[in-house]
Amino acid sequence: MEPQVKRWKGSLCDTDSWVAYPVLSDEQSQDIDLIEAFAAPIVNKKETSRLIRELNSLYPLNSLQHVKRVRACKAQGSPHPLEVLVCLVSDVPKTKVVSIDSLLSSDGVKHDGLGEPFIVKVPSRPPLTRPQFELVNKHWPTSFHEDKQVTVALRGELFSPSQKANMHKYMMSALTAAKAGKEMGMEAVGAVVVNPATQGVIAVGHDCRGDHPLQHAVMVCIDLVAHSQGAGCYSFDKYPACRFTPPDFDTHENAPDAEASSQPYICTGYDLYVTREPCVMCAMALVHSRIGRVFYGTASTDGALGTKFKIHSLKDLNHHFEVYKGVLSTQCEDLNRLD
Amino acid sequence: MGTQTGSDEASADTFYPSDAEIEKWMSNAFDTAKDALENGEVPVGCLMVYDDHVIARGRNEVNESKNATRHAEMVALDQLLDWCRHSNVDARGVGLYVTVSQIPVVVFGCSNDRFGGCGSVLDVSSVNLPETGTPFKCVSGHRADEAVEMLKTFYKQENPNAPKPKTRKE
Ligand SMILES: [Zn+2]
Ligand SMILES: [Zn+2]
Repeated sequence: MEPQVKRWKGSLCDTDSWVAYPVLSDEQSQDIDLIEAFAAPIVNKKETSRLIRELNSLYPLNSLQHVKRVRACKAQGSPHPLEVLVCLVSDVPKTKVVSIDSLLSSDGVKHDGLGEPFIVKVPSRPPLTRPQFELVNKHWPTSFHEDKQVTVALRGELFSPSQKANMHKYMMSALTAAKAGKEMGMEAVGAVVVNPATQGVIAVGHDCRGDHPLQHAVMVCIDLVAHSQGAGCYSFDKYPACRFTPPDFDTHENAPDAEASSQPYICTGYDLYVTREPCVMCAMALVHSRIGRVFYGTASTDGALGTKFKIHSLKDLNHHFEVYKGVLSTQCEDLNRLD
Repeated sequence: MGTQTGSDEASADTFYPSDAEIEKWMSNAFDTAKDALENGEVPVGCLMVYDDHVIARGRNEVNESKNATRHAEMVALDQLLDWCRHSNVDARGVGLYVTVSQIPVVVFGCSNDRFGGCGSVLDVSSVNLPETGTPFKCVSGHRADEAVEMLKTFYKQENPNAPKPKTRKE
């Protein structure tokens, strides 16, 4: 067995010290509202299919396609094996006493075989993640179309050790740039843009807002990417830690497909590593720049990719991207304490 | 509507353009937008006005710079910063006239449903972001139809820099 101590050789390969978690949309991360419904025991099992058919036409529950109509009875040794959803509480006028007769008052459903109703809670919309599913499924059986990648990501297991080693390396460059910027009197924020198809680093930049209020690390990197494509609008000559690599140098490493070697267009398909969560301006700049994915170290108070807004998941925008936080979180957190 | 006043900031207290002023400067901003259109850029123009003078002007230059953040307001902001440095005036009390709002920045012609920063997608002017900046005042809807028409004209043309839709090779 290898002695554990060996792993302390610098922080360079210590990828176990952090976990990247996805920053999901509100819909995916907030608890689902539960609504009240009447359910009733099916006391005569033979009537089940007729009852379901007749209830479906009387109370179609169209907005609750994700909710199962019938469930097996929870309690062991219960006299009846099945329970059925009758209707939402909001479907019927409020009365003091609710009986199965009053719920099925119109004709169409013979209530033979149904017991007296009781109130249950059902989810108002389909669950999108496994934690949401597990929570609502406790109340009433619910369908769930699982996005396996999201499930694995929520467990913090989306990235393999070798992927994590690369991510570690990129965030280390961002940290180094942040410190270089800090030494020049800037806020300690660094960022790196990577082409994941070739693993080439396209741009490394740090915050320059001491000289120009709009030059946050992300804005600097976006312009450095433009430089790498032969354009750009600012000069970063006086900041040695801000640099770019033209994609020609980046694609020589046997590009896996034609996609990678085709002409780059702004930040399309690129990954951004940034030591702290971007602000509103930077987050919108990343939308406009068609960034592929964003990885950040720590959250910030006014952050727009998780804290104050989740701009990457806004339905009304025409570009969306994945966001992960927690890459080298401790080291990124430490930047805020630099003097 | 859309005229909240910040409690303690000079910008919100002193920026009360008259209708005639708004009319004059927006028309000027539209001329700048037309210049963008003629140069193959998304037609958005922006003007910054201080003490009845234009101190900064910008139009979209995204395609030229290959930098998707080079919107009219951002280009004009660069000029504003230079102006502030030279004249030693701080930027509070400067009115910003922009034909379409994209990146969250103050008077604009139409809210941009897809990208807007003032009320359309995000309402940044009224959300409290203590580390980002102070709230600002936002008047919108001025000459909205015209701004939208110009955008339509642009999008009818092809964006020469956007990747072509993929066609299968023979
Ligand atoms: Zn920023
Ligand atoms: Zn803009």
